[in-house]
Amino acid sequence: MPIWFELMILLLITYAFGLALGWLMWSAAGADDKGMKS
Amino acid sequence: MYTRPSIPLLTGALLVVITAFIGGAISGGEMASRLGNDAKAAAAALNAPTIQARFTTLGGWPTRHPLLSGGQDLSEEKRAKAAMAIASIPGVGGIRWIDGSIMAQRDIAPLTPMHCQDDVRALLRARTVRFEESSTEFDPNSLELLDEVSAALRPCLGSIIAITGHTDSSGPEPGNIELSLSRAQAVNQALIRRGIPADGLRARGVGSSMPVEGLDPADPANRRIEFSVIATVPLAPTPVDTPGPR
Repeated sequence: MPIWFELMILLLITYAFGLALGWLMWSAAGADDKGMKS
Repeated sequence: MYTRPSIPLLTGALLVVITAFIGGAISGGEMASRLGNDAKAAAAALNAPTIQARFTTLGGWPTRHPLLSGGQDLSEEKRAKAAMAIASIPGVGGIRWIDGSIMAQRDIAPLTPMHCQDDVRALLRARTVRFEESSTEFDPNSLELLDEVSAALRPCLGSIIAITGHTDSSGPEPGNIELSLSRAQAVNQALIRRGIPADGLRARGVGSSMPVEGLDPADPANRRIEFSVIATVPLAPTPVDTPGPR
């Protein structure tokens, strides 16, 4: 397995975690209810 | 302004892939060559300089998982040691040999001899299968021992297991042989009830003719049951197992 591929898997996992955390914080802040959605 | 969430998400993922690719290209080569030098030093330290560790994939990319080759002139043990030394370098991932084996072994591992007989002997060293006097009824404590013996014999299924009954020299010999045989048969039946196939078991009684070495033939300690794995029957597939073409 090439090093860049291992790095990619690691970064993709970090990215997915970041997205999940961001979405959680966004929905917890109630941004959904304040009309920030279309 | 609302954009479809999938577009920024996928753009982010693509950026991640590009970052990984660039990061790998910048640091990968250097990392692989450092690991390669460490591996060479580790192999040389174990007097196995002919073992080569290649830290590039088949496609030519630098990798942390080396492909080991060479060392045909060395013993398996030395190859295994060198492989382990290379695998334990910090930063090295899994290792494998060029012939596809994961560890150092190239040839088929030697068959380990069946040790059930030793296991059974170890079980019977301190304890023995006991019977009520002049009877084929088991002593209650012996039932637990029989459970352990049948568990120890299980890995040897497919072998012929001989169960030999012995008595002490009190009483007339024809009766002793008969009694030792019925005791061996009782053990045989007990093992069958515990899941050992009957066709692999042979019971025989030798009376008092084979006392324990160094013991007086009249000593009650000669009343015993011995187990021995006498033959290994190779398993051949029956025609039912291998159906022919239709």
